Amino acid sequence: MSALFLPLVLSTACTVDERTLVVMAEEEQLDSWIVLEDLAREFEAEHPGVHVRLLPLGGAAGAQDKGKFMLAGDLQLDLLRIDITELAAYVGEGALLDLSPCFEADPTWDPQDYFPSVLAALRAPDGRLYGLPSTFTPYVMYVNRDLLHERGLEFPTPDWTWDDFLRAARSATRAADGNGRPATVGISLTQWLQAVAPWIWQNGARLLDDEGRAAMHEPAFVEALEFLHGLLHEERVASFDASFQNQLSQGLFQAGRAAFYGPVGYWETYRFRHIEDFAWDVVPLPRGERSATAIAMTVYVVPRTSAEPELAYRFLRRMAGERYQRTLARIGNGVPGLIAAARSADFLKPDVAPASEHVFLDVIPEARFLPPLSNWRAIETLCQAELEGILLVEDFDVAAACERMRAKTQRFLDREARRRSLPRMAPWAVPGTLALGLGVLVAIGLFRRGRRPVAWRAREERQAYVLLLPWGLGFLLFLVGPALVSLVLACSEWTPLRPFADKRWVALENVTRLFSDATFATSLKATAVYALVAVPLGLALALALALLLRRATFGVGAVRTLAYLPAIVSPVIIGALWRVLLRADDGLVNAGLEAVGLTGPAWLRDPDWVVPAFVLMSLWSVGAQMLVFLGALQAVDPALEEAARIDGAGTWRRFRHVLLPALTPVVLFNLLTGSINAFQIFAQPYVMTGGGPGDASRFLILYLYQTGFRHLDVGYASAIAWVVFALLALLCLVLLRWSRRWVWYAAETPS
Amino acid sequence: MVAALGLVRRGDAFVRRATHYVLLGMTAVVFGFPLVFLLLTALRPEGQGLRGGLLELPTEPAFENWARALEQMGDFPLLLWNTTVITVLSIAGQLFTCSLAGYAFARLRFRGRDTLFLCVLATMLLPDQVTAIPKFLLFRQLGLVDTFYPLVLPTVLGGAPFFIFLFRQYFLSLPEELSEAARIDGCTPFQAWWRIFLPLARPMLATVAIFTFLATWNDFWAPLIYILSPEKRTLTLALAGFNRTYNTAVEHMMAASSIVLFPCVLIYFLAQKVFLRGIRVAASKH
Repeated sequence: MSALFLPLVLSTACTVDERTLVVMAEEEQLDSWIVLEDLAREFEAEHPGVHVRLLPLGGAAGAQDKGKFMLAGDLQLDLLRIDITELAAYVGEGALLDLSPCFEADPTWDPQDYFPSVLAALRAPDGRLYGLPSTFTPYVMYVNRDLLHERGLEFPTPDWTWDDFLRAARSATRAADGNGRPATVGISLTQWLQAVAPWIWQNGARLLDDEGRAAMHEPAFVEALEFLHGLLHEERVASFDASFQNQLSQGLFQAGRAAFYGPVGYWETYRFRHIEDFAWDVVPLPRGERSATAIAMTVYVVPRTSAEPELAYRFLRRMAGERYQRTLARIGNGVPGLIAAARSADFLKPDVAPASEHVFLDVIPEARFLPPLSNWRAIETLCQAELEGILLVEDFDVAAACERMRAKTQRFLDREARRRSLPRMAPWAVPGTLALGLGVLVAIGLFRRGRRPVAWRAREERQAYVLLLPWGLGFLLFLVGPALVSLVLACSEWTPLRPFADKRWVALENVTRLFSDATFATSLKATAVYALVAVPLGLALALALALLLRRATFGVGAVRTLAYLPAIVSPVIIGALWRVLLRADDGLVNAGLEAVGLTGPAWLRDPDWVVPAFVLMSLWSVGAQMLVFLGALQAVDPALEEAARIDGAGTWRRFRHVLLPALTPVVLFNLLTGSINAFQIFAQPYVMTGGGPGDASRFLILYLYQTGFRHLDVGYASAIAWVVFALLALLCLVLLRWSRRWVWYAAETPS
Repeated sequence: MVAALGLVRRGDAFVRRATHYVLLGMTAVVFGFPLVFLLLTALRPEGQGLRGGLLELPTEPAFENWARALEQMGDFPLLLWNTTVITVLSIAGQLFTCSLAGYAFARLRFRGRDTLFLCVLATMLLPDQVTAIPKFLLFRQLGLVDTFYPLVLPTVLGGAPFFIFLFRQYFLSLPEELSEAARIDGCTPFQAWWRIFLPLARPMLATVAIFTFLATWNDFWAPLIYILSPEKRTLTLALAGFNRTYNTAVEHMMAASSIVLFPCVLIYFLAQKVFLRGIRVAASKH
């Protein structure tokens, strides 16, 4: 029925112009989008017959992953913006086009137009050039001028040192109330690897040694992290938030409660320009043994599969050209890679804070990129867990954590090196598996055919199969098929950066790897603990609410509505909302606890409390389960309860012996659906914590997802997926078996 | 607590009712509160959203946040239209496929029924992420990426296992005589489904419709992967764009969130009664 009018409404197949250039480089909601559209129209006017298609990146959450899907699907994509930390992975997998011939043939090309160190990061060791910078930013320190002034402190000079910094941070820290919570802190620290790297480099340490091996165990490295640990837990002059995307650390500075904030990049100026209560500025990072800082950057590259490399190059020059770079600078995206744009008033913005925008340019000579190497984005996730542990936990063995960081990174590097030498998978692996799967299904069908039924039964049977056709087709096409393919993937090494045909065979290695993967163990444990706590609590709360709301007294209707309302809110919105509600210092949850005389934990910042925080959130969305209980309660015959009452049964006994037995089928129902949902929790941690602090909230599906799209290891991700599936199936079987002992069905048994 | 459960003996009626209302009030506050907070944040001037005094009413409500959020989301009517088309088609697809399958599993006798139904249940256990990449490659093969097909087709072909399950439970609860009567009147199973069972299943249809509405309306992941062109984007995609790497303005995010949330709340309020009835039936048996 609905299948009939589908083609009419969905006739959206794209019409292809003579030549199309597909560009996915910016986010649609930035003010720069209009300028980009302008550029595209201009380009079309100059190149008749060419159509520029601008595809928006999907916002922070999806930006890096959408391009990978397009590359994996071999869709036309001619210009793409990626993060510099992923460049090496793209290059390593041969996913990018070497643009050097284009540059060499172009008389207007002058490498001197761009900051040399920035351009160098885009070059392979053999001199090939893979793209041009969008914007970049060195990490600097943001300073609350007024707060320093108030405490009688000098504004830092550009060559200030760790000692100067420590002194300033000490005098800026003031405890507010009796409970020792600071009103102002010296520094609101940032924590991701790129932000921690400057401290490490300044102390003369390094991430990799000269042979390219992980060097996180070296004394100078450990010392740098001990310094940071000390800032938080010995000096107590710092505050640190492990929350995703750093939002809370920003907030502290923005509220005027931190003298320093950093190390962090240019992007914060956009938000901070709304600060009216105090004057702020930026300074270079304090120097340690030497001065150093890190650079974050996004770059424009041309995928190897580009259909129009020539046009792509020309449009790339425009996107990295003066007009567009000045636009990006004006809206606060970062420092333009083009020197002329960076020195323009559009970047320096003389009349808008910060006054010292030039600091971002001044520190470029001492700024470094993470070492050129495969996939720093993956290594960042690996190190993140340890970094957060070091910064969050007071009695933490920093040296041991550094050693773990080294081991994890080294294991990752070894695997990366090995994956290039793996044998290719035979091209018939996927079709073969599909055929085999289908064959098995047919065989089962034939084998279990059973006795031929009587005539009218045979007709009913035929018609039943027809009615099941829509379901059956989808089942085969969208479930069995893809599941079989993912089974093949589970035995292979593949990244979305390579064509699907280019899979490497690893047999069962992905499965055996699971046993030695500490992160997987942590992830499994976190998920199990979450499910074990959230499911029974959810059931109890849902039941209590249903009992409370079962009789229609005044106001019950409204409260029922309210209690269910959270269940209809999108997880993305729930995540954004609860991240604010669960703030340690001034979140509403802790404010509520304080009102009844309790001191709330740091929730999302505390490895021990982050899972309970997710449990709390899940309890808020318990509405659907409540409704199911409510439905079942209303189906209980009131006469039964009345009879029990007349027999003298008390409240508890009536609940225990009349209501509860009638509820057991729905208890089982809620138990099963609740367990399935709990095991598959993904959207909330994805939006709220990204898996941290440490690995504390890296639930299974999140880990699976990050493995596939961040570590670019789809094979391993598929293996994890199948393990999750097997575990869930086992759990459900056990629950069903167990339920036979306590589920009580009313007189009629289900047919 | 016990008193509020409405289970105590007569006599202390006042205490009982008082506790009942106190608990009701507490429930309302606890559950309604975060959403009130969302609205309050959406009303704060840019840059003020995360500052102290979370519960204070904004002195000058920044209604311009909504205007700005709408503006930033792009062509709002188009986004709304796209989302609506996808949602309506998904609902139609789910209702058709799931009620058919649920009916067949509940009321028809055929060989392999239990095995097939077990397959339906087993698919509930398979995380979506397992099939995401192969499914994408499939739609790519079919040339359907950047159309609405990948978002709608799986509802028409296949349907959600959970809804098939709900329909089966519902049809099981209807009296056996209905099928008999239909058969005697010469109805084919399809006719019996269309003329007799579907009209009786109205509460279940409403429930599944609302569930599908919420799931499709709020879906972020599928549109993110499959929709490329700006003119085919959905509301949640536009919303996710607010959560940027840099430059996130929480107030606009909340304002945009409330805009996306509004239709859900509205539909829920309007359809609440039917919806609750459907859930009750679904829950009554296993």
